Amino acid sequence: MAFSTYRLALPAAASIAVLIAASTGWAQQPAPPTATPAPPSAVPGQSPPGFSQMDQTKVSASGQDQNLKPHPVPPIATPVDKLPLDKIKLPAGFKAEVWSSGHPGGRTMVMGDKGTMFMGSRIIGRVYAITEKDGKRTPKVLLQGLTQPNGLAFKDGSLYVFAINKVYRYDKIEDNLDNPPQPVELTAAYNLPDTIHHNWKYVAIGPDNKMYVQVGSNCNICEINPGTHGQIRRYNLDGSGMEIVARGIRNTVGFDWHPVTKELWFNDNGRDWAGNAGPEDELNRIPKDQEGGFFGFPYCHAMGIPDPDIKKPNACAGVILPAALLGPHAAGLGLKFYTGTMFPKQYQNVAFIARHGSWNREQKFGYDVAIARTNGAKATIEPFLTGLLDQQKNEFYGRPAYVFQMKDGSLLVSDETNGATYRISYETPPKHASR
Amino acid sequence: MTCIKQPWRPRALGLAAALTFAATASQAATLQERIALCAGCHGEDGNSKIDKIPSLAGQPAFFVLNSLFLMREGVRKVDAMASFVKDLTDEDLDGLSRHYAALPAKPSGEKIDAALAQKGAAVATQRGCVSCHLPTLAGQEQMPRVARQRIDYLIPTLKSYRDAPRPGADTAMSAAIAGASDADIAALANFAASK
Repeated sequence: MAFSTYRLALPAAASIAVLIAASTGWAQQPAPPTATPAPPSAVPGQSPPGFSQMDQTKVSASGQDQNLKPHPVPPIATPVDKLPLDKIKLPAGFKAEVWSSGHPGGRTMVMGDKGTMFMGSRIIGRVYAITEKDGKRTPKVLLQGLTQPNGLAFKDGSLYVFAINKVYRYDKIEDNLDNPPQPVELTAAYNLPDTIHHNWKYVAIGPDNKMYVQVGSNCNICEINPGTHGQIRRYNLDGSGMEIVARGIRNTVGFDWHPVTKELWFNDNGRDWAGNAGPEDELNRIPKDQEGGFFGFPYCHAMGIPDPDIKKPNACAGVILPAALLGPHAAGLGLKFYTGTMFPKQYQNVAFIARHGSWNREQKFGYDVAIARTNGAKATIEPFLTGLLDQQKNEFYGRPAYVFQMKDGSLLVSDETNGATYRISYETPPKHASR
Repeated sequence: MTCIKQPWRPRALGLAAALTFAATASQAATLQERIALCAGCHGEDGNSKIDKIPSLAGQPAFFVLNSLFLMREGVRKVDAMASFVKDLTDEDLDGLSRHYAALPAKPSGEKIDAALAQKGAAVATQRGCVSCHLPTLAGQEQMPRVARQRIDYLIPTLKSYRDAPRPGADTAMSAAIAGASDADIAALANFAASK
């Protein structure tokens, strides 16, 4: 394991206490990094002339159960012996085990050069650091009191933390996990819009060493200013040199670069309250010659469905249509192309997509990890990790949020509902089954 | 609709019970002592009689637990609450949330403007309030009860959702109230209080 050279200076008993404390909020907490709320602006989230901020959702016209609502995230993690490991189903030869637990609300994952796993979260406002000692992994509350710090990136010893419209850089963080330094604040340089809905961040550093940043649409369905919202942007790491890489996106919270073509592929979660059937979520690709292109929101969804509430003539003209559909209300979050050698060859350069699972759908959908096999501009979607949704009972046991490829080629899947990660590994079955 | 079956509750208790050794002296107050402190502002029966102080009676248990948790963790910063929440144990959160969820919500006694309440019903439909807060406005899970809530609490709270990011809440609330006029907000508050 990549962790084996890293040692946390804690006796075993202390690390157990920290493990428990991390799941209950009693850990010794570092002071929050100047996490004061943004001052109220005189004209909050002001739209330019012609753009109404008002959400155009018509719940009663959707034909759906009007009491559907987002699922809460438990603030307390599931004990390790109650995790739904036995529910998880995988293709032959793959197995799942618990890799870490005790980090309620943990979602995004990035790893430091010295093997620390950092995890971002949403409502719970924490960034966790998971370290390993003597084969035992211990989550620690590294930062807390932030507003939805979902966006994490790591480069040259520094951890970048993107909360809602706040950007911090923690230098030499792995040498100071017990006492994180005051961060360098990059909020002003990144100059992100001050609206909060769909603006918890997903970020990743691209092959060009630029920071790619999501800027969501600040509504379920509304007119947006394409110069401000509904984008993927890229910046120099210090926040300078902003460019818009894609427009007309409702909300993407997962993207990655194809290992061969180097094109950016991203999930886009479709609108709610337009029926149980969709419009389906999208898997998109930014063609090399179409950077800055338009992906349709709010006028055109999925494979060319005009919006029922915001109407425009030729709604889908000039729209880059998806490479594949990810299913109705599936909520694809994490997306990673597999480049390891542990999994069989047919998984090489395949995208693993964590589908967090639906809320705005009477019969639940998703709660799994799917794979996307890409072929030029198109892709096909297949199930991979299933079993966390009981379709008959219409109940879920966990919500896969993000995926992370370890150095040994195994794949981590974070489960936000249970505050745990699962390690997926593969072992070649023996050719002659001899007993 | 049925959601995941409140898996956090038994865990919260089990974990907290297993961890009593970690409690410090300041965490040793009994639940009844805690409730007595809360009653000073939020009312003996959880129905506030004090201007701008919210009623807690009849709030969904998860909402109370989550709000106290987020204030304790420093995500939701409410200065007036800071000293009361900082030492709460998970067991306290669980006990307080059960206590307030079980109390009946009563009207605050404020004067409700019937015409405004009627207009508020239309605004609530237009903005989809009932889809999360339920047609009775009794709330569910992480969504608070707003029925019978104090008008003088609801108005500034709705304005703050509209005017400034509010850490710890579902950001969908920010979208739901975006662009509402002060008059619409007054109407919504009267409507909710009247339910």
